Amino acid sequence: MSTDSLDGGGDDGAVTERQVRDRLDRVTDPELDTSIVELEYIDEIGIDDGEIHVAFTLPTAWCSPAFAWMMATDARDEVEALPGVTRATVELREHMHDAEINRGVNERLSFGAAFPDADGDVAPVRAELDEKARLARQHDATGALLDAGLDGKQIVTVVHDDIEFDDDQARVWVRDGALAVSVDADPLERYLEKARATGLVDDDHPELFRTPEGDPIDPESFELVRHRTRSAGVNMSGQGSVCDALHEARRAADRPPLSSRSD
Amino acid sequence: MYEYEGEDVFIIDSHLHLWDATEENIVHEGGEQFIQCFYDYHTAFTPEERQWSLEEYRKYGADRMKQDLFGNGAVDMGIFQPTYLTDFYDEGFNTTEQNAELAEEYPERFVLNGTFDPRDGEEGLEYLEELNDKYDLQGVKLYTAEWRGDSKGWRLDSEESFKFLEKCAELGIRNIHPHKGPTIRPLNRDAFDVADVDDAATSFPELNFVVEHVGLPRLDDFCWIAAQEPNVYGGLAVAAPMAVHRPRKFGEIMDELLFWLGEDRLLFGSDYALWNPDWLVDVVMNAELTDEQRDEYGVELDLETKKKIMGENAAELYDIDIEEKKREFQSDAITAEFGLEDHYGTSTAPADD
Repeated sequence: MSTDSLDGGGDDGAVTERQVRDRLDRVTDPELDTSIVELEYIDEIGIDDGEIHVAFTLPTAWCSPAFAWMMATDARDEVEALPGVTRATVELREHMHDAEINRGVNERLSFGAAFPDADGDVAPVRAELDEKARLARQHDATGALLDAGLDGKQIVTVVHDDIEFDDDQARVWVRDGALAVSVDADPLERYLEKARATGLVDDDHPELFRTPEGDPIDPESFELVRHRTRSAGVNMSGQGSVCDALHEARRAADRPPLSSRSD
Repeated sequence: MYEYEGEDVFIIDSHLHLWDATEENIVHEGGEQFIQCFYDYHTAFTPEERQWSLEEYRKYGADRMKQDLFGNGAVDMGIFQPTYLTDFYDEGFNTTEQNAELAEEYPERFVLNGTFDPRDGEEGLEYLEELNDKYDLQGVKLYTAEWRGDSKGWRLDSEESFKFLEKCAELGIRNIHPHKGPTIRPLNRDAFDVADVDDAATSFPELNFVVEHVGLPRLDDFCWIAAQEPNVYGGLAVAAPMAVHRPRKFGEIMDELLFWLGEDRLLFGSDYALWNPDWLVDVVMNAELTDEQRDEYGVELDLETKKKIMGENAAELYDIDIEEKKREFQSDAITAEFGLEDHYGTSTAPADD
């Protein structure tokens, strides 16, 4: 049995649209920490043997070019990670900088080479957005542990080795292994993914949950940190609402044409 | 004056512009991008039957503005917040001088804010003094992400900026309104970072810092700074229209703001002409938190809270005596022009007099 069919590929081993879409589902709008598939940014997926073409449109033509760049490069890399794909090309549509981004991404240039006027690279912007996403996801993960019956003092001491994943459930051990609670694995897995992306969890500092500044949490300030992590989520979903509204306005059938100056 | 459940609510719209984005005034592609982006915000959050065409949106003029603000009694007073953008617009997008057209004709109804840009150096300090001499400023609107030549913005906590804040303190210009809001291409994202407000607010405790658009999309950073700095306030322009199509989201944002800042440090603003206050005031006054939202943070968005947000807090910052204003508005020019006597007449007389 080939890897392709395990991955849901077609009978002839060819890449399917479903597979491509599943890979794209892993790409998030970095500001909203939500999948670009769920956000309905994807317009078209073209498959020509191992050559895949992905076209997408963002909520506004004025979306930050750095964010657009991250989504385009992530989409390319995710799709190219599929067995059977030889090359992925990406087409961002109707964006202020679609020409620079499409050329840069498909010719595999660096952000700086694609945007000679840029003040800096996208790496620090990505790190900052990852940190925001980490906080919002921490809120969900600690919320799940609170719902499962743990208290703040127990939660702040949880380390990576205290968690065992078993399919869609996670078992979290507390009090030196004397007690375990079972929770839905998803919020913990999602949190761990961003905690790793932000480089927070290492051997010297094994505590899983952190303050917004990245430090282990003092049990006394657990509640305050919970409030701050909620703010991060509200900010993200608030911004999501703005993008969503702009997305709708942009695609409205009766939207008046905007004049375009060419100077 | 707006009436809600039989009670008068004095509305101060703390974020107004009289702008000119006509094609003749645009000198840089950024100017066209700027107004088009504003227009997308306008159509995205305005009820369909109240939307403008792009052409009328580019320049609406003083008469239209007066009608939109006061015509149906939704707004009692307004605060002008200039946005110069002189690299993009020949005569500027919305300067203090342009706003003065209305503010000088109806001084009882408007507060006219000035601005400064630390990149202008000595000349900028002189301009600030001139503006102050001419208009007796109580506040300045600052656009830290404004393009100027090669520079794509400046920081409020820079040495140059502090010279201007010192000048504000010396001249008695107490209210500093930095725009910290949604990313608007082609302005740089980083210039909207709210972190620079922190040091400025600590260094100038005698000044008030009203962060416009409550830092969205950096609401969390803004709340954390405001929680520690008592002289930091939140301007609700841009957050307010969410109450139309996204009432639950609006409730969540208000939850956060009320939790971290409290009800005394939030100011309503329509951001006119991005949105019209006549319908927006209505929507915000009718907004409610869900039971779940109220319980989670232990905050209320009741009539008393709304009265503060819609006018009383701005009155406090700008030394406006609301009761005196109500008496004055029984017979001022705007009341005469729009037939607003009923709005100010009956409500001020004691019932059993």
